[in-house]
Amino acid sequence: MDNNESLLWQVRHFVYNHFADTTHPPNVDKTAMHFNISAEKAGEYYKELHNRHAFFLEPETLTVRMANPFSGIPTDFKVHANGKTYYANCAWDMLGIPAALHADAGIEAVCTESNGSVQLEITNGQITNYDLLIHFPLPFSRWYDDLVFT
Amino acid sequence: MLLFQSEEWIDKWCKRNDLERGEVLTIHQVWGLSKLWYHNRLSLDYHGRSIEQVAEIFRQAG
Repeated sequence: MDNNESLLWQVRHFVYNHFADTTHPPNVDKTAMHFNISAEKAGEYYKELHNRHAFFLEPETLTVRMANPFSGIPTDFKVHANGKTYYANCAWDMLGIPAALHADAGIEAVCTESNGSVQLEITNGQITNYDLLIHFPLPFSRWYDDLVFT
Repeated sequence: MLLFQSEEWIDKWCKRNDLERGEVLTIHQVWGLSKLWYHNRLSLDYHGRSIEQVAEIFRQAG
């Protein structure tokens, strides 16, 4: 692509902060309008950021599915922070949202096997509910083989 | 990364899915890792990490 490296990372920054401000990602048209560029060019930046693992698009689309820790679709990991409700991609990312926002949070999640509901709080940088466990089924070197499974 | 209420549920999940048990961390450990991993994710200066930087974060998290 005819790449403007600085603008590329500004697009990443815009997508992430749009997620933080609104709980969902901007579509290509909104990003194009923000930067006063064509939708086609914004789409090229989206694809390039996807290829660099800066965020992840739904297959064969320009819709942002994951900008870790944020999820573009509802999941079992719901995070309430700053008066908004976000969805996280996984058990790690449900903690990543308050870490990224530097905010207190209330988290509602589900145990993968028992389907039991779980609540925890992040307050002043401290976490409640010490009994929970997080299982990493894959080693880091294989995380990107199948990101949804990871 | 999957959330479980106990070791017993992890074992049941692994058996049901015919998968070997991976790394298991406490929620407190993962919270520490999350703060190191995500604290600068909204920054304009964040452009991803090298393998060496990732290894350093895991080392710091223990």
